[in-house]
Amino acid sequence: MSQLELVLHLVPLELLNTIYMVVVSAFFSCFGGLFLGALLYQTQKEPQKIFSWAYKLLSFVVNIGRSIPFAILIVALIPWTRWVVGTSIGTTAAIVPLTVAAIPFFARIVEGALNQVDEKIVQAALIMGSTRWQIFYKVLIPEALPSLVQGLTLTTVTLISYSALAGLVGGGGLGKLAIQYGYQRFNGTMMCITLVLLLALVEIAQGIGDQLVHHILKKRGLV
Amino acid sequence: MTKLCWIFLALLAACGHCKNQIKIAASSVPHAEILRVIEPDLKKEGICLKVVEVDDYSLPNRLLAEKQVDANFFQHLPFLNVQQSQFGYQFEVLTAVHLEPLGIYSLTVTNLNEIVTGAKVAIPSDPTNEGRALQLLETAGLIHLRDTCDAYPTLLDIAENPYCLKIQEIDAAFLPRALQDVTYAVIPSNFALQGGVIPKHQALVQESADSPYANIVVIREGDSRPSLQILKQHLTSEKVGRFIQETYRGVLIPVSDTTPSS
Repeated sequence: MSQLELVLHLVPLELLNTIYMVVVSAFFSCFGGLFLGALLYQTQKEPQKIFSWAYKLLSFVVNIGRSIPFAILIVALIPWTRWVVGTSIGTTAAIVPLTVAAIPFFARIVEGALNQVDEKIVQAALIMGSTRWQIFYKVLIPEALPSLVQGLTLTTVTLISYSALAGLVGGGGLGKLAIQYGYQRFNGTMMCITLVLLLALVEIAQGIGDQLVHHILKKRGLV
Repeated sequence: MTKLCWIFLALLAACGHCKNQIKIAASSVPHAEILRVIEPDLKKEGICLKVVEVDDYSLPNRLLAEKQVDANFFQHLPFLNVQQSQFGYQFEVLTAVHLEPLGIYSLTVTNLNEIVTGAKVAIPSDPTNEGRALQLLETAGLIHLRDTCDAYPTLLDIAENPYCLKIQEIDAAFLPRALQDVTYAVIPSNFALQGGVIPKHQALVQESADSPYANIVVIREGDSRPSLQILKQHLTSEKVGRFIQETYRGVLIPVSDTTPSS
């Protein structure tokens, strides 16, 4: 099979695999990250000592998640992956470590975005008798929405590059083709095509994110 | 002082008494370790074996071509063939010494007569090991490969898959860890040992000693010095075979008296 034939034969399926892995893991890490980020934000704000300890602990856990190289994380999570999806190999199995890697990443972004919200708005809501939960979903989330969307875009783009390592565990994806055929088997055509497609995916993800942010700001009359 | 002088002279004499010297470039583990075993025996026959440890995969062949060494010991035949066609080297195989066999392992199946239809099979994803794994699966009668001139077949070269096996390519170091997720895994012996699969589990089938992937000692074409033949005799001796079996239990198998042919 010539280099080009191989490309045509393998690329379409692996393109779908990449999209599948990235979309599903971005979806789950969106909620996980939002939850963890909100916890980080809230525990940091509370004055009691117990919360400041909770914050330190959470922050430490997040840093553990952020510091482990992704390839090692995949291996470390094998038992957990097996428990969640029933196997530790294949494309679906790769989604678990992808999500676990993206959650602390997005959580930090959420924490930062919430911290950016003007303290006065939060206090105004408190004075008017809002509960914590109401403040969270009626004040903090809408106020921070543009930065949250930007952060989710960044997370998705990071997931696209992380997904290249899914090939380690028998997962598919464009990154696997680039490594197994482009790099290890010296298939230059495969290397170029997969890299161009990955770039296209990143461009699309970034474009959608930017459009959403623009749309939100426009709706509020800020642009 | 006089004593020192004598020792010095004796040392000089010891060096000088070597009629023949063979310089051989070898990978440090296990190749150089195997060569050290026969070093004293060769010395008794008047041959000094000088082992140059080179942990690189293209340098030893260049050293041999440039006559900086008389032999090298680090590669297998398919690799040599690629290098010869790429760089135009004129080499010949002196002898095959040992094989690092790939084996088919399973936690659920105890022999290959009861093949599970639709079973999951994990194989290494790097080109050489993937090719070897597919060839081993073919030898075991699980699949049939198309005839390709390529030394390293891939999943796309499977012509028939009568048992509808689902074959997945996985990083070689991950295979021992993924063993419980698949019915069969084809694992290189060094990873099987380090991953704790050997000695707990026996391979259902391993690459045999006549595999073309045996590690060979290579010399320049037409180099007919008798000292090289003596080196060959010693490398294929029972002593070396025993050493390989005992030192690298389960990881290496000795290949004696079978020189793979191209």
